[in-house]
Amino acid sequence: MEEKKKDFLNPDYYRNRELSWLAFNYRVLSEARDKTIPLLERVKFLGITASNLDEFVMVRVASLKDMVHADYTKPDIAGLKAGAQLALIGEECHRLVDMQYNTYNRSLLPLLEKQGIRIITKHEAMTEKEREFADRYFDETVYPVLTPMAVDPSRPFPLIRNKTLNIAALLQKKKGSQELEFATVQVPSVLPRLLRVPSESGTSLILLEEVIERNIARLFLNYDVICAHPYRIMRNADLTIDEEEAEDLLEAIEKQLKQRQWGEVIKLEVEEGMDKRLLKILKKEFSIKEEDIYAISGPLDLTFLSKLYGLEGYEHLKTERYVPQPVMALQNEDDIFANIRKGDILLHHPYQTFEPVVDFIRRSAKDPNVLAIKQTLYRVSGNSPIIASLAQAAENGKQVTVLVELKARFDEENNINWAKMLEKAGCHVIYGLLGLKTHCKITLVVRREDEGIRRYVHLGTGNYNDTTAKLYTDCGLMTCQKSIGEDATAVFNMLSGYSEPLSWNKLAVAPIWLKNKFLRLIHRETDNALEGRPAHIIAKMNSLCDQTMIAALYEASAAGVKIELIIRGICGLKVGIPGISDNISVRSIVGNFLEHSRIFYFYNNGQEDVYMGSADWMPRNLDRRVEITFPVENPDLKLQVIHILTTELEDNVKAHVLQPDGTYEKVDKRGKTLVNSQQQFCEEAVQAARPKHREPMPRKFTPLS
Amino acid sequence: MAVTTFAAIDVGSYDLELTIYELSAKCGIQVVDHIRQAAAAGKDTYRQGKIGYALIDEMCQILKGFADVMQVYRISAYRAYATSALREARNNKIVLDQIRVRTGIEVKILSNSEQRFLCYKAIASKENEFQKIIQKGTAIADVGSGSVQLSLFDKDALVTTQYLRLGALRIRETLGSADADDTSMNQLIEELADNDIQTFKKLFLKDRDIRNIIATGICALYLNRRASAAGHSDRINVQEFTEFYASIRTMTPEQIGERYDIPLEYAYLMLPSMTVYSKMFEITGAEMLWVPGVNLCDGIAAEYAEQKKLMKFTHDFSEDILVAARNIAKRYMGNKRHTAMLEKTVLSIFDCMKKYHGLGKRERLLLQISAILHDCGKYISMRTPADCAFHIIMSTEIIGISHEEREIVANVVKYNTVDFSYEEDPESNRDPYTNVLIAKLTAILRIANAMDRSHKQKFDNIRTTFKNQQLIITTESLEDITLEKALFEKKADFFEEVYGIRPILKQRKGV
Repeated sequence: MEEKKKDFLNPDYYRNRELSWLAFNYRVLSEARDKTIPLLERVKFLGITASNLDEFVMVRVASLKDMVHADYTKPDIAGLKAGAQLALIGEECHRLVDMQYNTYNRSLLPLLEKQGIRIITKHEAMTEKEREFADRYFDETVYPVLTPMAVDPSRPFPLIRNKTLNIAALLQKKKGSQELEFATVQVPSVLPRLLRVPSESGTSLILLEEVIERNIARLFLNYDVICAHPYRIMRNADLTIDEEEAEDLLEAIEKQLKQRQWGEVIKLEVEEGMDKRLLKILKKEFSIKEEDIYAISGPLDLTFLSKLYGLEGYEHLKTERYVPQPVMALQNEDDIFANIRKGDILLHHPYQTFEPVVDFIRRSAKDPNVLAIKQTLYRVSGNSPIIASLAQAAENGKQVTVLVELKARFDEENNINWAKMLEKAGCHVIYGLLGLKTHCKITLVVRREDEGIRRYVHLGTGNYNDTTAKLYTDCGLMTCQKSIGEDATAVFNMLSGYSEPLSWNKLAVAPIWLKNKFLRLIHRETDNALEGRPAHIIAKMNSLCDQTMIAALYEASAAGVKIELIIRGICGLKVGIPGISDNISVRSIVGNFLEHSRIFYFYNNGQEDVYMGSADWMPRNLDRRVEITFPVENPDLKLQVIHILTTELEDNVKAHVLQPDGTYEKVDKRGKTLVNSQQQFCEEAVQAARPKHREPMPRKFTPLS
Repeated sequence: MAVTTFAAIDVGSYDLELTIYELSAKCGIQVVDHIRQAAAAGKDTYRQGKIGYALIDEMCQILKGFADVMQVYRISAYRAYATSALREARNNKIVLDQIRVRTGIEVKILSNSEQRFLCYKAIASKENEFQKIIQKGTAIADVGSGSVQLSLFDKDALVTTQYLRLGALRIRETLGSADADDTSMNQLIEELADNDIQTFKKLFLKDRDIRNIIATGICALYLNRRASAAGHSDRINVQEFTEFYASIRTMTPEQIGERYDIPLEYAYLMLPSMTVYSKMFEITGAEMLWVPGVNLCDGIAAEYAEQKKLMKFTHDFSEDILVAARNIAKRYMGNKRHTAMLEKTVLSIFDCMKKYHGLGKRERLLLQISAILHDCGKYISMRTPADCAFHIIMSTEIIGISHEEREIVANVVKYNTVDFSYEEDPESNRDPYTNVLIAKLTAILRIANAMDRSHKQKFDNIRTTFKNQQLIITTESLEDITLEKALFEKKADFFEEVYGIRPILKQRKGV
């Protein structure tokens, strides 16, 4: 009987990416609610959910609003149009915010207080001594930088800046008319938000806006302040359109450019219980709809919690700091080049230190035999030793080519600054290809040796950022394989504007080639399954929302391929659809380190293939970015990489498993040994770096003969 | 171990290519880097006869980039060659000057035969396969953007080579003005190619049994990749090729690019290129296409490595050049036995005077070719054989020798029978050295030719000695050589004029 051809593209089989992302933020929030986690870690997670949400609104919600304005009616993979998505997102966001503050007020604040950290939520609650301190601080430090702005017929409503915290007030002239006037003042972002006030025991903290609110009358001397409340807005202020959107959308928006409301306010947060009259004014001035207003029961903008985490003297409330371990293959007298020549080296950050990568570039800059260094830089830490080394290399007469991706989100200004610095040092700075963000992480060192030119390559899944390398889990490979060296050269030639190479040896490069490669690999498993052979795919990435890739996975699952996905963030795939995705499981690991590596495993009828790379299976990564995926071929390293995957699949502490209804649930731990993959990797790295226990020398005296 | 880094630059009609090589006696020729960028000089040349300034600018910028890359690898030597687009451009001297001034790169324009010879060397550098393949009848089809070169091999030697103005870009440009949609455009391409290739068949292909085709050229690299990606070797059999060709002939360049993952700028040339290969299959009945995946840069590197004695070809290229010359002689009904005799004599004289005339191997080869071709003019006219021979040689491709060298051969042959003119030909831009070389070779050819005036090979056993500033040619012939001796004396005048030595012809009789 001929089976009815399955429609793997049916929108019912897909999940909207924004809703899936919100589910991810819930998972982060669940860390803040997890009682087994040290208190300040929980505080930090709550802060992360807040900054995550801010970014989400500014980029994704803004983008959807653009679509609505442009009358863009194409539905997403789940069949939802922009308007419908916004409605669903709105509901979820409100729920999420409620839960954030619930966590903050009901769990964290009392627990913090118990530990001697008191956050004064209302200035009215300060003691006499605290008040005195706060007032003096206001006079000396805060007052000089405040710019109160009043609104009346001669002074229009001021421009309120995106993401800033402000205090709105209603004023009434002390003498004269009874009419209420509106005034606003920005809580200065140059001053620390969290202020430590002297206290008898433990630590007392107050938020800057409370100090200002307490003294607000001093700003408007001829007025009575009727009420004052903090508020915060978010604007669709990004001049560039989010790269993740389809090209036809870009065209549609360009056509409507004039109609687009630049700087439109898309979200308003106000203190719960804000005076109705005040709220009405804000609502009118920002022309914002009811559903985009969030009444907050607590301090606005919880991102200050990351500062709270940095509070000294409370180390016992944090997870013990982990020190990245040295890489055994490099613990010897030889230099990095000699060590790479011995064989490929696998790096697993942050369990292992990022230092070898920094050292690789530092050595290359000084090594007289190095002819050229080429590197892609995406997001680099402020005081990057890598940049310093590159500049030094150029000064040492090496040809240094640096691809700087200026479009890295929210990082443009930073990028431009050090790009200029590198140029000044004599580096050849290139900016990549038109319309393609360069997201691959690759370093190529060309070295002249006795046997001729040899190329050393570092390929990674994460950015060349020594700071995030301590927080993000990433993998890297150092190699001097000729075939990879050739490909690496071709990548940089391509990025410099020369024609693409005739063929690639080992690297799979996006756009164009990478997606097809993955599809071929998936199809190969499908074919094997259809022919009755075992077939298995394990893929670890940050996000999965490319329709073609998901459809290929559905097809593979339907053919009987066992598919295990480890996806931290967005997952547009649904599990447990009968006949479509019964063989697929999805788990998300949210832990102390941010899961960031992308690893792909294909059973290949026993000839296991392992790849790592910079690309998620998202349309933007596969189609509009330069990305690289590279194979891990050394049998030992391959086993190590597979070990990473299997350990994460065994994780039952930090893993959340996707359910057919779209929710994530933690693994049932009853009767099981607890496996916390991140912790286990830490322990393994420490173990591996520990000097091997030496065999005791046999005690034997040998006479001289 | 000594490793030389060498850069080869191909200023092609469609793109510019830079390949960086490492050359060493131990590892041979290794590619280190290869970059390529399209800038179609041919578009301007084939349409307007010269290259416009915008394009010169673009080419200079690309070459500047190449110069930077060469610096990275600390290149010890480079060679930059330009092919048909620059060769044919009327303003090519200006273009070369601009390139030199703006990038520091000295580009030399290759004659077609030199270019093809390099390409042929590149193929031959894949020694094992090459030697195996040419044991059977083989055709090399080098489909460039500006022209096509078809060469035929038989039993290990090159028998003929012909230049067709049928390059992929040229076809596109020729048809550029034709108002046709994509499919009828594809038909026009086939018709255009068919015409020239049929002529080739009529003139050169009879009685030849061609079993293999070797494909090189601008799009052959994509064929090579396709073949190797599909897992099998770099050989494609006739069925596979036919299927492939059938599928692309209905596609637009965009579709070809997408389907076969070829950048659009090259996909555009795919059909015209493949059409030529397909026609070759058709007219030869070959069974297999070998795509060695080499390009001009590889040939440049091979030539350089050979000159620097970093590699040695097992294939004898001089022999190819000579066989090609003999085939030309045959076509113009040269006297085979007389020629053989003459070859032997000129070489014998040349060799014994080696220290005196100071000429090298290359000049020896030119002398030999001159001897082979010395009587081709008679095919046209018995009255003015010198001029006819000159024109025949000047308009016949002899693979492996440059245009200048061909001109030398043509002149040597011409002055073999007419008075040598010391006045420089105002039309040619020969340097004085070349003039002297022509005189030197002519002098030898003349006396040698005189020795077989009767074409009866009376001097079948000669000995030449050069001692005490005397060239003595001794023959043991028992026949009457009065005619030859008289003529020899006449020709010896010129020899003396050139070398300051009077050659002496001696007949030794008895033991």
